[in-house]
Amino acid sequence: MNKKEFFALFREELSGLPKDDLEERVSFYEEIINDKMDEGKTEEQAVAELGSVESIVEQIASETSIMKLVKEKYKLKRALRGWEIALLIAGFPLWLPLAITFFVLVFVFYVLTWLLSIIAASIEVALISASVAGLISFFALLFTGSFELAPLGVFLACTGASILFAFVCYYAVILNIKLSKGLFLGIKKSFMKRREK
Amino acid sequence: MDAQLRRGLLDVCVLRAIKNEDSYGYKIIKDLKPVVELSESTLYTILKRLEEAKMLVVRSVEFEGRLRKYYHITNLGHQRIEDFMQEWKELMKVYNFIAEDK
Repeated sequence: MNKKEFFALFREELSGLPKDDLEERVSFYEEIINDKMDEGKTEEQAVAELGSVESIVEQIASETSIMKLVKEKYKLKRALRGWEIALLIAGFPLWLPLAITFFVLVFVFYVLTWLLSIIAASIEVALISASVAGLISFFALLFTGSFELAPLGVFLACTGASILFAFVCYYAVILNIKLSKGLFLGIKKSFMKRREK
Repeated sequence: MDAQLRRGLLDVCVLRAIKNEDSYGYKIIKDLKPVVELSESTLYTILKRLEEAKMLVVRSVEFEGRLRKYYHITNLGHQRIEDFMQEWKELMKVYNFIAEDK
């Protein structure tokens, strides 16, 4: 990849960043490429040493707060006109419920990504309850004078299963955290890339 | 290495690289290479952070028909290095105590 191709891709992937921020980054990398070429490296070589645009984008995404990206994306290009403000106020009963619905939906989808952990945790809670119930029944029956093995069996089996299942829970949560992080990174990356026009 | 610790160390490394004379991006990376491997994007973030913290100032200098940004350390930057040395003197005491144990 030469300089031109590198920066064309770079600008495209990061077109959602504030303009001066983007230009500053471009000139920073450009200076380093030039310095490397002055040292005798070829253009291709100097560009290759920077790593892929993708990895740079990923790093910027992980360092930039999502609020900053959202703000930049929905920044108004000009002041609102009088009639636009009037429309905004008049349409209030319409857009407010829509906005609330939108945010609730986003929230629900996010919670859904945690489904795996929620199910695992529920099963774990059920197993622990069953094991406690088994133990209590065993002693309760013992006090009434009957020695029953079944509740004891339930207690032992559920205790064992709950210990094993605790590991499943642990890995489900780890998996979910990873998923969550990836999701956020993806959302940020999409924000950094301007899609309109 | 712990990410938080690494970040703090890198900040001071970069300050050290411009402590005695002003330097520019590529030179900082090369100067630090024997001590720590620093990617260009990481350096950018560090320089930005140090500039915002007013520990360095940037000026553009014409060089062979193009502009090159030079980074100049401020008093706050010098102070940061001093603080770092002090902190680590304390830490080294702890380190030695731990290392002594056989």
